[in-house]
Amino acid sequence: MTDAERLADLRNLFLHAPESGGAQGIALLFALALAAVVLWLVRRRILRAEYTPIWMAVALATLVVGVDLDVLRWLSRLLGAWTISATLFMLGELFLVAICLNYAVRISQASVHIRHLAQEVALLRLRLEKLEPAAARPAPEADRA
Amino acid sequence: MAVPAGVIVGLPAYNEAARLPAVLRAVAAAVPAAEIVVVDDGSADGTGDVAASHGASVLRHPFNLGYGAALQTLYKYALQSGAELVVQLDADGQHDPAEIPRVAAPVASGECDLAIGSRFVAQSDYRMGPVQGLGRRLFSVLGRIAGVSVSDPTSGFQALNRRVVALYCEPFFPPDYPDVDVLVAATRRGIRIREVPVEMRESPRGSTLHGGMRDFYYVYKMLLSLWTESRR
Repeated sequence: MTDAERLADLRNLFLHAPESGGAQGIALLFALALAAVVLWLVRRRILRAEYTPIWMAVALATLVVGVDLDVLRWLSRLLGAWTISATLFMLGELFLVAICLNYAVRISQASVHIRHLAQEVALLRLRLEKLEPAAARPAPEADRA
Repeated sequence: MAVPAGVIVGLPAYNEAARLPAVLRAVAAAVPAAEIVVVDDGSADGTGDVAASHGASVLRHPFNLGYGAALQTLYKYALQSGAELVVQLDADGQHDPAEIPRVAAPVASGECDLAIGSRFVAQSDYRMGPVQGLGRRLFSVLGRIAGVSVSDPTSGFQALNRRVVALYCEPFFPPDYPDVDVLVAATRRGIRIREVPVEMRESPRGSTLHGGMRDFYYVYKMLLSLWTESRR
């Protein structure tokens, strides 16, 4: 048996190490809790519906890999990982980086919009202040007569 | 030299209620025909009311947006009101309003589009901190490489014609501190810049622009802005 074959066997052993089922249970609970919290936030109008698809997708993905570990094993082989936990960590990290970058872009856009609105408020307020005194000024005596 | 009609003198101000009256009186004495506009950048000390009580038009930000954003509000107002020339100076008394006609003169005569009151062209009693001085020298060199030869790019004492005002209303204008990056953008769009020597006092606040970790952020941001502008 060559070194490469021994390593392949060892990797296979890692990937098919028996699971206690505890981690799967936690994953299932987490998926259901996440979906429930997202729905509750939407119902309370704390989270807008257009921001929910990504979190429902995370809940669904967690549910799928929690029910069937073979999905994670297949992904691990595809990515060249030795353990399914390493695959989970990598996917989690990639997701967090992507979501942070996405929100940074959204915040950048929102801050530009807020700045323009605040500037517009200042400009309109001054225009109003210049108009209001003229409208509120009492008419001259001759006009009233 | 007299300042022509259609001139706005603008002062971005943040919590300057104590120093503003003296500055406004000096501005009114120096350029009686000009409209004085104070941009109150979300002050908590009644800066806007003080400015209004001294006859200035006041643009009030609902909250603090930053020095650059306050300047941009001034430019937007100038553009809307049809002003031909804008002179901006700091509200803390750092600049001498008596020098407004001298700074405005090259723009009013059409000699240039943007005049910068510079403390380094002539002898001045202004002193900088070591980090600020180093940063200034670094970006002065980078600016020269990018085609801008200005000794004092951070000066808040400037005169701008309508063309520059319109340009500075565009989204690229930074909300925090406009610097040599803005001048590089202006130069690339054909804006003619000239420096005018002015006396400048040290800001009563000390270095208002930078300090501590912000120095490093400033260097990073400037390099990024210059790179972005070079790719435009």
